[in-house]
Amino acid sequence: MTQIFASQKLRRTAIQTGFIAAIIFVIIATVLTAQRNIADQGMATGFGFLEQTTGWPMNFSLIEVSGRSTYARVLWAGLLNTIFVGIMTLFFATLLGILLALMRISSNALMKLVGTIYVEVFRNVPVILQVFFWYALLTHLPNPKQAINIGDAVLLSNRGLMLPSFSLSGNDIWILLVTLIIGIASIWITKDKSTFTRRWGIFAGVFALVFAIVLFTGREPEVGLISFPELKGLRFVGGVTLKPEFSALLIGLVLFGASYIGEIIRGGLLSVDQGKLEAGTALGLSGFQINRFIRIPLAFRAMLPSLTNQYIWLMKGTTVGIAIGYPDYFAIISTAINQSGQTLELLALLMGGFILINYSIGFAMNRINEHIKLKGRT
Amino acid sequence: MIEAVPPPSARMSTLNWARKNFFATWYDAVFSIILAVLIIMGLNALIGWAFLDAIWSVENKDQCTYDAGACWAVIESRGRLILFGLYPYEEQWRSTIACLVVISTIALSCLPVFWSIRRIPILWIAGFTIFVLLMRGGFAGMPLVSSDQWGGLSLTIFIFAGVFVIGMPLAVLFALARRSNLPVIAKSFGFFIDIVRSLPLLTILFAAAVIVPLLLPEAIQGNKLMRVVIAFAIFFAAYQAEIIRAGLQSTPKGQEEAAVALGMPYWSLISDILLPQAFRNTLPSTINQAVITFKETSIVTIIGFFEVMASGNAAIGNGEWGNQYVEVYVFLALIYFIFVFGLSRYGAWLETRMRLGHA
Amino acid sequence: MIKKIKSLAFAAAVTLSGITGAQAEGQGLLDTIIERGSLNCTGHNGSYLGFAEVDANGAWQGFDIEFCKALATAILGTPDKANIVPISWAQRFPAIQSGDIDVIIKVTGWTMTRDTELGLQYSRPYFIGPFYVMSKTELEAKSVKDLEGGVFCVNAGTTIERVLTDYMETNGISYEPLSFEKGEELRAAFYAGRCDAIAGFGPFLSATRVNAPNPDDFEILGDVLKLEPEGIVVRQGEDDLLDVVNWMVSALLMAEENGITQANVDEMKANPPSASIGRLLGATPGVGSRLGLQDDWAYNVIKTVGNYGEIYSRTIGEGSRYKLPRGLNNLWSNGGLLYPLVLD
Repeated sequence: MTQIFASQKLRRTAIQTGFIAAIIFVIIATVLTAQRNIADQGMATGFGFLEQTTGWPMNFSLIEVSGRSTYARVLWAGLLNTIFVGIMTLFFATLLGILLALMRISSNALMKLVGTIYVEVFRNVPVILQVFFWYALLTHLPNPKQAINIGDAVLLSNRGLMLPSFSLSGNDIWILLVTLIIGIASIWITKDKSTFTRRWGIFAGVFALVFAIVLFTGREPEVGLISFPELKGLRFVGGVTLKPEFSALLIGLVLFGASYIGEIIRGGLLSVDQGKLEAGTALGLSGFQINRFIRIPLAFRAMLPSLTNQYIWLMKGTTVGIAIGYPDYFAIISTAINQSGQTLELLALLMGGFILINYSIGFAMNRINEHIKLKGRT
Repeated sequence: MIEAVPPPSARMSTLNWARKNFFATWYDAVFSIILAVLIIMGLNALIGWAFLDAIWSVENKDQCTYDAGACWAVIESRGRLILFGLYPYEEQWRSTIACLVVISTIALSCLPVFWSIRRIPILWIAGFTIFVLLMRGGFAGMPLVSSDQWGGLSLTIFIFAGVFVIGMPLAVLFALARRSNLPVIAKSFGFFIDIVRSLPLLTILFAAAVIVPLLLPEAIQGNKLMRVVIAFAIFFAAYQAEIIRAGLQSTPKGQEEAAVALGMPYWSLISDILLPQAFRNTLPSTINQAVITFKETSIVTIIGFFEVMASGNAAIGNGEWGNQYVEVYVFLALIYFIFVFGLSRYGAWLETRMRLGHA
Repeated sequence: MIKKIKSLAFAAAVTLSGITGAQAEGQGLLDTIIERGSLNCTGHNGSYLGFAEVDANGAWQGFDIEFCKALATAILGTPDKANIVPISWAQRFPAIQSGDIDVIIKVTGWTMTRDTELGLQYSRPYFIGPFYVMSKTELEAKSVKDLEGGVFCVNAGTTIERVLTDYMETNGISYEPLSFEKGEELRAAFYAGRCDAIAGFGPFLSATRVNAPNPDDFEILGDVLKLEPEGIVVRQGEDDLLDVVNWMVSALLMAEENGITQANVDEMKANPPSASIGRLLGATPGVGSRLGLQDDWAYNVIKTVGNYGEIYSRTIGEGSRYKLPRGLNNLWSNGGLLYPLVLD
């Protein structure tokens, strides 16, 4: 008997089985308690409400949404809003981060100083406060009638930034989007012999062609190719509008995120062994070549894991949008909870949505990591 | 014979220094000038608004208009609300002392003297207990103040300290479980940590505040503040666990093997050899995590706690001071900045100190 | 083996939830409140002008808060037993479902979904909230129609979002909606000119106007989008508590109808001018026990917070900085919609 217990293998199995049993126990107990509590409260449960109409509109969405849309559609629009602002944030924050990192390692003392002050200020104030600040600033711009007008094409007011745009219908945009995705995917996946640049070139050509076809076909003759924003009554007609809610959230997140990303990039650049750079010089490489072939590839590998974390963190940061009226996924869920009262279901959807987004980022970054990993012979 | 020439002077003239740092190349010069102009303009506007044109006292409140400078009178009038939230007015001295206790606990634990696996927990538990006793009261003539009434800066600090005290041991547990050699346990904890890390803190806190009561029997629910602090601690632990795991991985494998060869028991191996090194190696990241946690406490305002951010919002949420929100936000930003900047400077100091090999 | 463990766990879980369930069912919420000695009421996260605000000392005040105090006084004899829990709009329903709070007194509109699907029930309305639109004077709008195409700001997650959508659709007016989670941000955005108009609850609009840097810049339009009855919410099945809530509201109105005020209530109790006033103030025994309360509960309530009119005046009416007219929230005899129930 004692011998059996002494057996390492059996003990390990016993502990693990016990662990699984405990988890199952907790889950079952929780589910049962929840069921009982919900029944006691007389609450309606289930996902049936997703088919009902919401009765409330959305301020900003990438797909058409009105008071007659179903909960499912409105939630989907909210998720798209989060993804949209999130991806824009990652893109611009990375660009600004690179700039900051370069400022902080530059030899110009003033640039170094500005970089340092920037990082210390924007890192050390909660992002929600920063977003509040930008929103207050943007809403204190002149009103639409006194809008700042740049050549009748670009208008800036407290209703947002109005820009001219190509006159494209919703369907046209979908066609372009699909082309874009297929193009990028095919460049990514195919292991064509032709060079990378050449494939990009071909893709860009095809895309431009599709764009031109879409732009010139199927339109009423009197509609111009480009639409300009103009004030009609209380609203702007034509062009595209960047609303202050979206802009403030984006600016706040980008400036905040860049201070972190900048530090990560700086750390990555500094982590490159000085000897390797000197070796590059000794081989007669130019400064640009050293950066292009030695410094940046090595630094990129070093900073990728922290960068992934930071991206996920920023993606989660979009939830502060609720504070300034940007209808991100969290804000929509919160309103839906209030209107329908389906707290449990909606919270589950909220968590599911974020797990989906963040796992996708993690997955993509891991793919890149695999791709660029130093392939040593070990 | 050639006369010995003295070495070139190591000291640079001011002009040379400026040339090297600001005007090394033509584009450096352009950048420097543009930046300098921008800095001067910014500073000028800032000083004008915040100091020269500012209104400082409540008596001059009627001068607070849109065109005037900062209206700091709002801080004079509503400052105590921002700092103490809903805490009863007469008892606010307790809140102040409690705050100071935790702040000194944080300060003390920054001293290398306390860096041992036994001293740090004792210090923190002691500081935290004193804080809770003082805030709660209900003995020695101090009236009971329930946690619903806690607020302002002391609530922010309570949440921060609570998350740290509960989260740290949890983080160690998570980290050890994740690198356990039992695959089921390692996988389950890995899965759990990854899930928690990909969720926004807000959703976790929201769930803790409103969903958990539906899922748990009443006997083990605890009050709302407790639930939120525990949920926050789990979130913190999921991040901190990864930091600790990295620290554990950075200790040479040989040490572990040597300890096993010497017949050291598992817990002794962990607590005497691996953990101290793991903590020491990851101190900068831990401090960084603490900084993030401190800032994130502002999120509890969304689920109805009167920490310093919510108190700030309440301060401008009445007829009298509704238009002074910029001043209040600046005041709040300063409060956060003092704590967070202090912590991050300390982190930077530690980093240099360790790079020099003192640790 | 696994099967066995599973069934064992299941059995244990059933027992566990059985025990806790039994605990919850034992007594009504009213008894629990009396036993606990405190009433958990809704506050706000931040402030809702006139209805729930925090003063410089960190104490709650406002119309809703007074009703909470009145309810605490009715049940427990003193307003100090009212425990105001700070809670956001979104949290109020989950919080009452989970038992974190006992009642919602947070200008909560009586809607069918909330009444039927959330496991809640409403008291008789204690406030009638008309929804209006407030716009900027410079736009010279006479009615909502003149604001065609404008930006309308609203509070997110409240009934106004739906009311506005309905109204605009019915009247064929196009507009751009913008919702904010918090009143502070909504007001700031409106003052700054981000929105052409705010649609909302009448009192909230008046308070917003009074608070504006220059109140004359804004005007409330005449169109009533909808009338919303605001009730006090309790969980389904807590009938005892609902009775107390209904009669508390009624007692406040009855006191106003009969001219009983905070100042003269002692005198009225000593020499009740009519039998029904005697019953209200507990001079006749047995009135309180029907509700499971002390006989002098209504006396205590009026002594502490005054009658309906006094509460109104002190928090949002003439006596406050918001100067909101009584309007529909007056007694029926003065042209309003409110009336007391019959106390026999």
